Amino acid sequence: MNVFLSIARRILSILVTLFGASVIVFIILRVLPGNAVSAAMGTSEGLLTRAQIAALDRYYGVGQPAVQQYFSWLHATLTGNLGVSLTYRESVSTLIGSTLPVTLELAFFSMVLGLFIGVGFGMWSALHPGRWQDNLGQAVSVVGLAVPGFILAQVLSVYMADKFHYFPSSLNFVGFFTNPWLNFQQIIFPALVLSLGIGAAILRTTRGAVLEVKSLNFARTALGKGVSRSAYIWRHLFLNSLTAVVTMSGIQLGYLIGGTVFVEQIFVLPGMGRQMITAITDRDYPVLQSVTLVFAAGFVIVNMLVDLTYSLVDPRTRKR
Amino acid sequence: MSESTTIPPGSDEDVVRHRGWFAALWHSRDGRRGVIIVGVVLVVGLMGLWGLTPYAADAQNPASVLKGISFSHPMGTDQFGRDVFSQAMQGLGVSLEIAFLSVLIAGVIGTIGGIVAGFLGKWTSAMIMRMTDMMFAIPTILFALAIVTALGFGIVDSAIAIGVPWIPIFVRVVRSPVLALRESDFVRAGRVLGFSRLRLLWRHILPNVAGVIAVQTSLTLSWAIVAEAGLSFLGLGPPPPTASLGEMVNNAGSLAGVAWWTLWGPSLVIVIAVIGFNFLGDGLRDTSDPRTRTR
Repeated sequence: MNVFLSIARRILSILVTLFGASVIVFIILRVLPGNAVSAAMGTSEGLLTRAQIAALDRYYGVGQPAVQQYFSWLHATLTGNLGVSLTYRESVSTLIGSTLPVTLELAFFSMVLGLFIGVGFGMWSALHPGRWQDNLGQAVSVVGLAVPGFILAQVLSVYMADKFHYFPSSLNFVGFFTNPWLNFQQIIFPALVLSLGIGAAILRTTRGAVLEVKSLNFARTALGKGVSRSAYIWRHLFLNSLTAVVTMSGIQLGYLIGGTVFVEQIFVLPGMGRQMITAITDRDYPVLQSVTLVFAAGFVIVNMLVDLTYSLVDPRTRKR
Repeated sequence: MSESTTIPPGSDEDVVRHRGWFAALWHSRDGRRGVIIVGVVLVVGLMGLWGLTPYAADAQNPASVLKGISFSHPMGTDQFGRDVFSQAMQGLGVSLEIAFLSVLIAGVIGTIGGIVAGFLGKWTSAMIMRMTDMMFAIPTILFALAIVTALGFGIVDSAIAIGVPWIPIFVRVVRSPVLALRESDFVRAGRVLGFSRLRLLWRHILPNVAGVIAVQTSLTLSWAIVAEAGLSFLGLGPPPPTASLGEMVNNAGSLAGVAWWTLWGPSLVIVIAVIGFNFLGDGLRDTSDPRTRTR
């Protein structure tokens, strides 16, 4: 029963957090820029008649008190009406429906690759501390942490296109179910770029955690009683370092989400990050507001899932 | 970890503590690397900011277009014949200006928030922590993008956009040591002696969290440089003719096939600055927290 209670409490706190985040987004994007209509219309506002401006103002709730604007926006959002894109004249939910899968696929591949790089090199480093394997791991982590994703992406895309005349992203993006092989080629390079950044952080954490577990008595005992090497590495060391790895992966999720914005832009992937940049340059506030909120919701929900996996990963946290 | 807990009293640890913070920093490997790299980065950046560049950053020269690396142009020239190194120097200066300004915003507000949340009553603390949770829900760079959209692309706008999302990090980092300090003997003694809250905070709490703040400041600076370059890469930074590293990386996308130096020059400058502040942060952490010194 306690489990349900704690899950319910978590969901409640998530709802409160998301409510707060929506207020912050609303304040930044609706209250600060002043009149969203004139911002969206830009110079062409002068061409509109006074009646047209008034009609637009009414639609966007300009002139109403901010609190009222917020709640009518919240009500519309919760009933599934995310508004209409000012540039595409299309409903925002349709736009997000087409871009979200791309970003999810990218994030998924990046996370999987990042875990492979991070856990792989991290374990390898920790098993050979101070030797060349460790130095290699340290080099990977220094590069991964110091080279921003957009530089990596820019370098990779330039060299792929110019030196090898290979740039699958220049073809129109295809979904996974239409052409899996082309889709894979289009996703894998941006995913690789993102995975190096998160992989570097996971690498450091894995290395530190494994080194610490290695120094504990039970690990030495396991070696002493002649446990096989693979059982020692994976059952004794890896499983006991998993909590730290999971925590770090959760933290890196924010970096991952931010990174999609740049990487999608460079590799021309029609995902939510690219949509966000387009919305910013077009001053398309309804799109921008919703996309930011969807990102925040995804971030918060996955973080909750990470919290929930602790009890799976580490039996010690189950009793509470 | 295990080695550091077994250090006998009177050894290295005491020596370091009596040396003063800079000497201790210099003594640590990462710290020394950080001090040297950050020192060079600061000097070069300030020279760029004050116009002390080999060429004027925006001086076009049709006679030397897309020239490779040479003694007169250590990072080559771009498609207008501008010296890439001079531009990168100016871009670095602007980057540093925005980064320091944004960390000042995040650091001052975040530290005040953290100290208040740690020192004052339960209610205030709960309120502040709830607010940081809400800010945490929005990934930092997206937060910055939203703010920059609302405010505009000036230097101060960029600094606010990059600083504000980092406030909750400072709040959290500062709050936890303050919570522990509040119950420590010397703070209790101060309270018994009738010191005012302000004096306790200023004279007793703040100096003891200064190390934590220094570490976080250095690491945040490295993030801020990346964020600033990222914003200007997307065309959301200070507009031309101000040179900016991110914009240079972006422009090089179409040039790098024929002139690789246009991409590598500014990228290298960003990476070196980031590595420098990361080393400095690690070094500061090593010297301010004896538990992690052996790493």
